[in-house]
Amino acid sequence: MKKRVGVFVCDCGTNIASVVDTEKVAAAAGKLPGVIFATTYKYMCSDPGQELVRKAIQEQKLEQVVVASCSPRMHENTFRKAVTAGGINGYMFEMVNIREQNSWVHHDREQATKKAADLIRMAVNKVLHNKPLQASTIPITKKAMVIGGGIAGMQAALDIAEAGHPVILVEREASIGGKMTQLDKTFPTMDCAA
Amino acid sequence: MVAVAQHPNIELVTYAEVTAVNGYIGNFTVTIKKKAKYVDWDLCTGCGTCIEKCPTKKIKDEFDLGMGLRTAIHKLFPQAVPGKPYIDAANCTKLTTGKCGVCEKICPTKAIKFDDQDEYVNVEVGALVMATGYDLFKWEDAYGEYGYGKYPDVISGLEFERLVSAGGPTGGQIKRPSDGKEPKNVAFIKCVGSRDDTKGKSYCSRACCMYTAKHAYQVKTKIEDSEAYVFYMDVRTAGKNYEEFYQRALNAGATYIRGRVSKIYPRGDKLVLKSEDTLLGRPIEVEADLVVLATAMLPATDSGELAKMIGFSTDKDGFFQEAHPKLQPVETFAAGVYLAGACQGPKDIPDTVAQASAAAVKVCGLFSKSELATEPMTSEVDINKCSGCGFCVPICPYGAISLQEVQQRGNHGRPPFMRKVAEVNSSLCQGCGACVPACRTAALNLKGFTDDQLAAEVDALCL
Amino acid sequence: MSIEKRGDWEPKIVVFACNWCSYAAADLAGLNHLEYPAEVRIIRTPCSGRFDPMFVLRAFNRGADGVLLSG
Repeated sequence: MKKRVGVFVCDCGTNIASVVDTEKVAAAAGKLPGVIFATTYKYMCSDPGQELVRKAIQEQKLEQVVVASCSPRMHENTFRKAVTAGGINGYMFEMVNIREQNSWVHHDREQATKKAADLIRMAVNKVLHNKPLQASTIPITKKAMVIGGGIAGMQAALDIAEAGHPVILVEREASIGGKMTQLDKTFPTMDCAA
Repeated sequence: MVAVAQHPNIELVTYAEVTAVNGYIGNFTVTIKKKAKYVDWDLCTGCGTCIEKCPTKKIKDEFDLGMGLRTAIHKLFPQAVPGKPYIDAANCTKLTTGKCGVCEKICPTKAIKFDDQDEYVNVEVGALVMATGYDLFKWEDAYGEYGYGKYPDVISGLEFERLVSAGGPTGGQIKRPSDGKEPKNVAFIKCVGSRDDTKGKSYCSRACCMYTAKHAYQVKTKIEDSEAYVFYMDVRTAGKNYEEFYQRALNAGATYIRGRVSKIYPRGDKLVLKSEDTLLGRPIEVEADLVVLATAMLPATDSGELAKMIGFSTDKDGFFQEAHPKLQPVETFAAGVYLAGACQGPKDIPDTVAQASAAAVKVCGLFSKSELATEPMTSEVDINKCSGCGFCVPICPYGAISLQEVQQRGNHGRPPFMRKVAEVNSSLCQGCGACVPACRTAALNLKGFTDDQLAAEVDALCL
Repeated sequence: MSIEKRGDWEPKIVVFACNWCSYAAADLAGLNHLEYPAEVRIIRTPCSGRFDPMFVLRAFNRGADGVLLSG
């Protein structure tokens, strides 16, 4: 695997850029071994942002991608898809969290910028060891179980059953209906509960 | 209810509990315990002769919260679905002492089975919807100032529902439990156990403001010359047509008093409520014939055990934890397990129905695919390095690793031989990587988080 | 034992955080804008079970001042 890493640093509007000097971070990233392309953009997760990633992969012949933006718990899948659309394996990608775990919790611009650069160095070093991975598939048993036969359980069971799938409705008591059956008329329409 | 029972795609399993859940999204195996009913529901026609003839007639009916009576063989309530009776073993004379058996003798289809046993069955399903609902806060254990339950005419909102229901123990006439008289002055206290950090729960139970308005309205319209006093902290009517309904209760003549009731005590055959009217800033005393408490909603008993068994979390109050409060309100942290209704948090009927439909859509979305792509970040074994020690097998929390025999080519012209190596079932593997540090020969690695990758991160940070 | 803080010295703290709890908690700290020292560097692991004592030794060996494992 060739070492051709692209680093994409997101401003997240001002969420990141107001604390982290993203230009400086990208410049530092560009000098890391293996990195051949580094840039910033205002909203990397937006359509033009993702397009930037896709284009760079093709134009710069990138083999690995690092995106520094928000938490991977937020947008890892977004960028994995963008990377795949760019033509390389989605797992040749690492994400750096410089928002939730940097710009939102630190105020010192110098320290936060240094931290962002460190975290990107860490991800670049990791991504150079990444290998393409393939998702496998598992079968799905198209039958649902609903646990609890009150209003919620009955409604869910009916909707799933109406869509054509078999449903098992398990109820602890000897009758379905739940608390609803104990109620008299219900607000605001005053229609009967059963 | 009947629509559920009649739907060809729905299999009803009542009087049953889930005792074990194994597997993963798309492929769960669920063990259901079908509790002994002592009645063969395949034979039973639901004619009800057994219920009429059962000699044990003075059991407090749980469905009417102890305000009515029932027999040992009974239906949960007359319109039960399925409409078939079962025997309450603890109260049946035949099952406790061996004498009686009247129901067995008179049953025209011979459906009574005194030797019935609990039955365990396994079913394979692809998705689970949790709809375990709620229970009510036991105010009798916490509210000494309201008498710890020793005044019979201090009741919960659900008991009031039974009193006002046409199918209830009084046939829909509001009568007070102590002497069966129709109450004239009815007082309602809201937020009993809700919004009360010291005695109950910090949260708002959301439905009480509205059902209390309904109760007050019913008192005013059903009982002549009656008064309905509602003691409240706030009136929360955030729902379509809710504010209008509250106004309807006010227009019917309900009296709303802003204040917490500090004490209830008897005076003659009445109950005295001491409170403060915080809008007027002065103490107030109300004499009532009946007091109705709007008690907090709690997660259903034992629902926490179920969450633990399936493998998702509960919140600080024991309600099922959704994966994200705004963006994933019906998902749990366990893939393929969805939430509907009050098990996720207190809610009223419209919200419950909406959430249940949302959960159903999630299930249908899952079922619209023929197969499911799995996260490729799973463990893998380099069988050339694996010594077959089996250390990793018990460490895997998902039971994804097993030892398998492989044929090994013999060295120096020796014949091939069999040896054991670890094998990872990638659909069971959740990619936690706990097996990797346990491997003594570094044969196991977690794809996406290999030793190399993590070491590279450490190096980059430290150097 | 006391450590005098020198003006220019910054500790290197390496944190191994489980993706599902501690890493998520660090994200939550971010969402709530709770401030903490910037010297902390978090390495995401899929689970604290993935953590290997080898990584502590490696971190100290390469000059880390502290290692925090959280999961």
